[in-house]
Amino acid sequence: MTWLTADRDRPSLDDLLAHRPELKAKYQTFYASIREAGLVPPRLLEICRLRMAAIHDCAAEWAQRDAEVRLSEAELAALKRGDVQAFAPLEQAALTVTERLPYQHHELTDAEVATLKSQLGDAGCVSLINALVLFDVNCRLKLTFDLKQ
Amino acid sequence: MSTQPRVASAVAGAPASFPTVLAHTPDTTGKFFDLYAEFWQRGVAPLTVKEMTRMRNARVTDCAF
Repeated sequence: MTWLTADRDRPSLDDLLAHRPELKAKYQTFYASIREAGLVPPRLLEICRLRMAAIHDCAAEWAQRDAEVRLSEAELAALKRGDVQAFAPLEQAALTVTERLPYQHHELTDAEVATLKSQLGDAGCVSLINALVLFDVNCRLKLTFDLKQ
Repeated sequence: MSTQPRVASAVAGAPASFPTVLAHTPDTTGKFFDLYAEFWQRGVAPLTVKEMTRMRNARVTDCAF
């Protein structure tokens, strides 16, 4: 069941945040700023977002797609099962950090972060980790409120 | 867990901390703090409840900071 509107269709995250319009606007502005900063390639953001959805088993987040990023069925299947071998070295490094954040954040190593920094720079590394945290939050919101998207 | 900051401060002369590391992405960070202020300064949930849940979240995630 969904928690807010049990007698209607399942709401989306947008519907949920609309209960607090100012909060919704700032949330969306923050979310968009990561993409707009251009510090992390869109494909990298997309594969990490989808892996986060798979980790949480969040169907609503998994169903979303970045229209500008094309992933093969084999890549999608690999993301679903957590097989990083199908991806380039930087992507593997980012997926490793993605794997850590929701439930293994204390197991994150200096070397794993250093690999990201060496490829993306300090700013890119900070931008990517900000994105990962937001992807995590989105999944948690969607699962907590049983949202449709 | 690391015992030292993994990313250097983006603010000359300032030690690495939550705001100075996030300062590597000033535009995004500004928008984050706008959002965070919205959480704290507005809404119907009492401030004491927000603070209680913030502190509990820090314990659950084992975040000493």
